[in-house]
Amino acid sequence: MAHYIPPKQSKIGQLIDVVVLVVLTVGALFVPLKLGLSGAAKVVTTPVESPTWETLGQNAAQAAKYEALGYTPETAHDLILARFDYSFTFGGLAAMIVVIVLYYFLMLKFSETEYREVIAEKFGQRGGK
Amino acid sequence: MADFNITSSSADGMGPHGTKVGLLRVLGPAHVWALGVGIVLVGEYMGWNFAVGKGGAYAALIACWVAGILYTCVAMIDSEVTSTVAAAGGQYTQAKHIVGPLMAFNVGLYLVFAYTMLEAANAITAGYLISVVATMTGYEGTLDQRPFIILAILFLAWLNYRGVLATLTFNLVITAIAFAAIVVLFLSTSGVVGTGIMEHAALMEGQAALPYGWIGVLAAMHFGLWYYLGIEGTTQAAEEVRSPARALPFGTLAGIMTLLIAATLTWYVCSGVLPWEFLGDGVNGSVAPLFDTARLSGSNLLIWLLGIGTLFATLASANGCINDASRAWFSMGRDKYLPGWFGAVHPKYRTPYRSIVFLVPIALIFALGAPLDQVITFSILSGLLGYTFMPLNVILFRKKWPMGSIKRGYEHPFHPLPSIVLLAICAVTFFAVFLGYGTQLVAMIGFYIVVSLWFHFWRYRFVSRAAQFTMPWPKPKGY
Amino acid sequence: MQTWNLIEYAAWGLSAVFGLFMVVDWLKTDTSYSEDVLTSSREGEIEAMTEEHHS
Repeated sequence: MAHYIPPKQSKIGQLIDVVVLVVLTVGALFVPLKLGLSGAAKVVTTPVESPTWETLGQNAAQAAKYEALGYTPETAHDLILARFDYSFTFGGLAAMIVVIVLYYFLMLKFSETEYREVIAEKFGQRGGK
Repeated sequence: MADFNITSSSADGMGPHGTKVGLLRVLGPAHVWALGVGIVLVGEYMGWNFAVGKGGAYAALIACWVAGILYTCVAMIDSEVTSTVAAAGGQYTQAKHIVGPLMAFNVGLYLVFAYTMLEAANAITAGYLISVVATMTGYEGTLDQRPFIILAILFLAWLNYRGVLATLTFNLVITAIAFAAIVVLFLSTSGVVGTGIMEHAALMEGQAALPYGWIGVLAAMHFGLWYYLGIEGTTQAAEEVRSPARALPFGTLAGIMTLLIAATLTWYVCSGVLPWEFLGDGVNGSVAPLFDTARLSGSNLLIWLLGIGTLFATLASANGCINDASRAWFSMGRDKYLPGWFGAVHPKYRTPYRSIVFLVPIALIFALGAPLDQVITFSILSGLLGYTFMPLNVILFRKKWPMGSIKRGYEHPFHPLPSIVLLAICAVTFFAVFLGYGTQLVAMIGFYIVVSLWFHFWRYRFVSRAAQFTMPWPKPKGY
Repeated sequence: MQTWNLIEYAAWGLSAVFGLFMVVDWLKTDTSYSEDVLTSSREGEIEAMTEEHHS
């Protein structure tokens, strides 16, 4: 197999490639963030009026710790009662599984094609193919 | 233009084959340990406690041990492959030789992002810690954390720029201190020495045991990785250790053992003192759980020790991250996966200086512009994609070069069991991330799909084909 | 308390010093060595060499 001679990349081309990568990277982090789609916010679903340690469900030992940390039942209210919502749709789960499997599948397939080329050039073709 | 002295006797033994300026081989196994544990130990000082918030204290312990199994598999698999493929770039170079160029490009990016995000998270924590110290010493206003975040990143980048030996020796010292601080805290609060202050039974009574039920245990796996994330970075030092085939497996496996101990001790002392709702909220509650535990112990000595421990852990981690991310970036530049300009080595300090400098502003963007749990999630996701790659990698490795066909410095036992376990735990963790951070997960994979297409159809034309296969191995089986 | 304001300024200042050191040294290195020397590092050379020593 003929040796592949890669073209030499100009300085400008190198710079453009770097800028493309950086823009994609920053985008991947900040776009979900800006659209408000990111993160699981904890919410207080059942607030307690004029809370005490008892109504917040804290036993004596737990209450003592909160007091040592400088909390009162009022200031600790949100911290203690906020909960994550773990409900999900099976459609969403299926979509995620498809995306992940597809991603790895595509990557392995493309890699394999490129890899065969590398091996062929490095070790020479087998059986004079 | 000054010419470089190729035949320098003080240099690293490189010279033939075209390398005039290469990385310097100066590190021993202790440095490998310091690099691995140094990056990770900060996970014990902050971040792991999000797992408590996700499912309660018991869930966090289960996640800690299951993640411990995951990382033991990672360490064993990694040790085997890297004791054979000893080159800077670590898993990137492994993927290039074993799976293929596109996979390698993706793995390289996983590494750079996992480490750069972790570095940003560390800088954020260091800035926060200094503001706490300011408040404790009586400062009335609100401290501007930005100069401290920037200083942390620039100082460590400078240290990395100046040479790897000083960088990792510094890491060895501060990591050892941070680890000792955890042990001292455990000894003095658990009742081993003096009277203990642990109240596990009372603090985990009733609903506090498993507040979300068993799904909370699954969800906790997301941040369970944080106890150990980064230990695989030891392989990045491969071109700078004196005898990679011996030092890398030794340093990595000693590292994972240290971390299993540190993680369990940390869970024990923190969950025995802090109520789970407070402990589990790493933003509004306990940002630095070990430090908060020390505060409740009432001992000023412990408060200072754990405060210093937290600061050192964040610095050690950021330091190791800069080291690893720049090695991975450098290796990709060297192979023209990225612009070749990045593949430069500093002729005096022998470091990949352009990669180090380039990654500084990237880290700053994330440290100054994004909230902590997002940054951590981004880092965990990149890490997780990397761990999913590892079992595929080692299975192909054993298939293409069966035992005995090449010399391996370390052979991991029970193959393919560790790979299967690792894949299964990765699947569970993907599900855990999906609960709550599904959008990021899809955004992240969308990003990797786009850059993969960019690489395959555009960037790869600049890569010479055979030259990137550098290991002195026979032809792989089946090709 | 004034001390912390001063520490803030010191942190800005030190950041600038470290940053400048790297940028200056980087530019100096790039201009005093040829690109061929700087990017001459090749992967796996050590491995190739140890093989030769062993045989």
